[in-house]
Amino acid sequence: MPAIETTNLTRRFGDVTALDGLSLSVESGALFGLLGPNGSGKTTTIELLTGQREPSSGSASVAGHDPVTEPMAVKEAIGILPEREDPPSFLTPREYLTFVGEVREIDDIDERIETWAERLEFGGVVDALATGLSEGERQRVMLAAAFLHDPELVFIDEPLVNLDPIMQEQVKAVLADYCERGNTLFLSTHYVDVAAELCTHVGIVENGELVAECDPREMSEDELLEYFIAEVGGERAEVRT
Amino acid sequence: MTGALFRWMVREEWRLHSHLFGWARFGAFPLVIAVLTGLGTWLLSVTGTAPDAVAGGLIALVGFFGLQVGTIGLVGRDALRDVLGDVTLLVFSARTLPLSWRRLLATFLLKDICYYTGFVLTPAVVGYGVVAVASELPPESVALLWVAVVAAFAFGASLSLALVGLASRSVGALGGLAVAVTSAVLLLNVDPIAYTPYALYADPSAGGAVRGLLPTFLFAAVGLALFEPVDDGSSSRRRATERLFTGIADPLTRRPLLSVARSSGSVGKVAFSMGVLFAVTALLLGEITAATGIRPHSGVAFGTLLGLGAFTTYSWVTQFEGQRTYLRYPVGYDAVFAGGLRAYLVLSLSTAVGYLAVATLWYPATRLVVGLLVVPGVAVYVFGVSAYVTGLSPNELLFDTVLFALFGGALAALAVPLLVAALVVSAAPVAAVGGAVALSALAGTVGLWLCRHAGPRWEKRLRTT
Repeated sequence: MPAIETTNLTRRFGDVTALDGLSLSVESGALFGLLGPNGSGKTTTIELLTGQREPSSGSASVAGHDPVTEPMAVKEAIGILPEREDPPSFLTPREYLTFVGEVREIDDIDERIETWAERLEFGGVVDALATGLSEGERQRVMLAAAFLHDPELVFIDEPLVNLDPIMQEQVKAVLADYCERGNTLFLSTHYVDVAAELCTHVGIVENGELVAECDPREMSEDELLEYFIAEVGGERAEVRT
Repeated sequence: MTGALFRWMVREEWRLHSHLFGWARFGAFPLVIAVLTGLGTWLLSVTGTAPDAVAGGLIALVGFFGLQVGTIGLVGRDALRDVLGDVTLLVFSARTLPLSWRRLLATFLLKDICYYTGFVLTPAVVGYGVVAVASELPPESVALLWVAVVAAFAFGASLSLALVGLASRSVGALGGLAVAVTSAVLLLNVDPIAYTPYALYADPSAGGAVRGLLPTFLFAAVGLALFEPVDDGSSSRRRATERLFTGIADPLTRRPLLSVARSSGSVGKVAFSMGVLFAVTALLLGEITAATGIRPHSGVAFGTLLGLGAFTTYSWVTQFEGQRTYLRYPVGYDAVFAGGLRAYLVLSLSTAVGYLAVATLWYPATRLVVGLLVVPGVAVYVFGVSAYVTGLSPNELLFDTVLFALFGGALAALAVPLLVAALVVSAAPVAAVGGAVALSALAGTVGLWLCRHAGPRWEKRLRTT
């Protein structure tokens, strides 16, 4: 059974169609990358699939649940890291993760916090107020919060955007390890190299439409870049050097 | 799970205030509230005001406070961010955790009621109670007042939530509700006060408790059912407002106006904040006449209180500006405050004139014309004091004891003589009205002076700290 399945998923905001008839299937164990330029509909897709917004039309199944009729069941089953989401400013990372543990009814929360603080290297600030942390440190805390309950499916919007190069490599390793254990990861990014390096499957979106799907393991990063540029018209592709 | 959520939210609120304002200043705030309330109660008792009237005023003030807290806290994430800076709160956890928005909002509301009961409401009642018991009032009446005051805060916050929730679904329904309530009051002689927590204080029976408390539960239920944290940025109403402001040539006037128009609630939040004060003023005028037989001058009273209420407009106009933002631009802070003043006057004076026009339905237009003369001076004074004392961060007043005392004292210095003038108008009409107009003009001049000096003061302060 696919971890994610959508049929003609559409979302309009007034006159603007942010997502136009998205139909895709993500198998369990996949590291699926939704690749597209800014404003192409990636964040809207994640919001629809995680029950944060309702679609204008179409349907979806996420971890066996309907995000429209069972949003809480979806959120209980998955982990989410939205773009630009910070831990509460006036709690410490330890306190916030403890809160997440209570909400998700995790028994061994203290051990898990220690594990994630060590893995993502925020142990030095685990008892400092979040308002004083750097953007990268806050992002690492939110990454830990998304994975804390060991879900089988995690959604991440732009996973590496605030991280330094060393931490980017560590996070990539964490994500790859997570999928190697049979879990599913759905990430959105506008960086071709991230999709090329991490993903087992890539869907390319442009103007709210899924314009192509490919397996990045069957092509080089340059080939994926050329493919991406060809699909999105070559005007807004972003390539990091 | 709700219990854990509540505990974390209380902890977060405590951290927020103690972090932003410092332990000492924040910790002293309840003491200042108690002292100010005690002093006010004593002064009013010296002038012969009945303790019950003071208690009624306290309940009304707290209700108003609840409305304001509800308005700021519940209009949306961008509003909170604008008030408190770039912060994230637990109430916004619905995106990432299996917590419904309604559960978070209900817990947030409950937390606010408990938190403000501890830090503001109880100290205020203690301040009143010390004077009241010394005047041989039974302690039970103070305990009853405490219940009514807490209920009044909950009433205000729940009403805010219900009105914002209704407006987020249908502005037409909100208008219909306003017409229905006004019609009930005017045509059926329904006393709206009888359905507020004051009813519980005035009539501590089972019937009084039901009438005093039931509307709060009703508002909370309606608000929680209807409120959606949606952005109505695409509405035609908002686009029309934006077009109106886009044509303003001065960028330092245009920027705050567009920020207000494009944020949650658009210019409606200015009308809402001042509308609450307008309604409270109207109710108080009626109550004063009913209780004492004195008919206060409606023009002076509305002009004064709408002018004072323009402080909320100052807050809306400046909340999108970081204190240090303009240090990055080749522009002086004197120009920033001048632009802010123009934006503030556009919003506050047009709103005040609108409410004075509405007031002509109940009060003589000849008296309300005086309000037109009083309100600009008071509004400019409020801007000047706010700019000078708080700069571009008026919300630091929330729990900063020193700033709060300075600001309150400055406003009281103008409000007290103006309100006295409104009350004694029947004894010396020409002197009272003439004095009020002259005093507001003088206050406006002081306000302009403060506004001019606020720029250099804050620019120097920001560059040297």
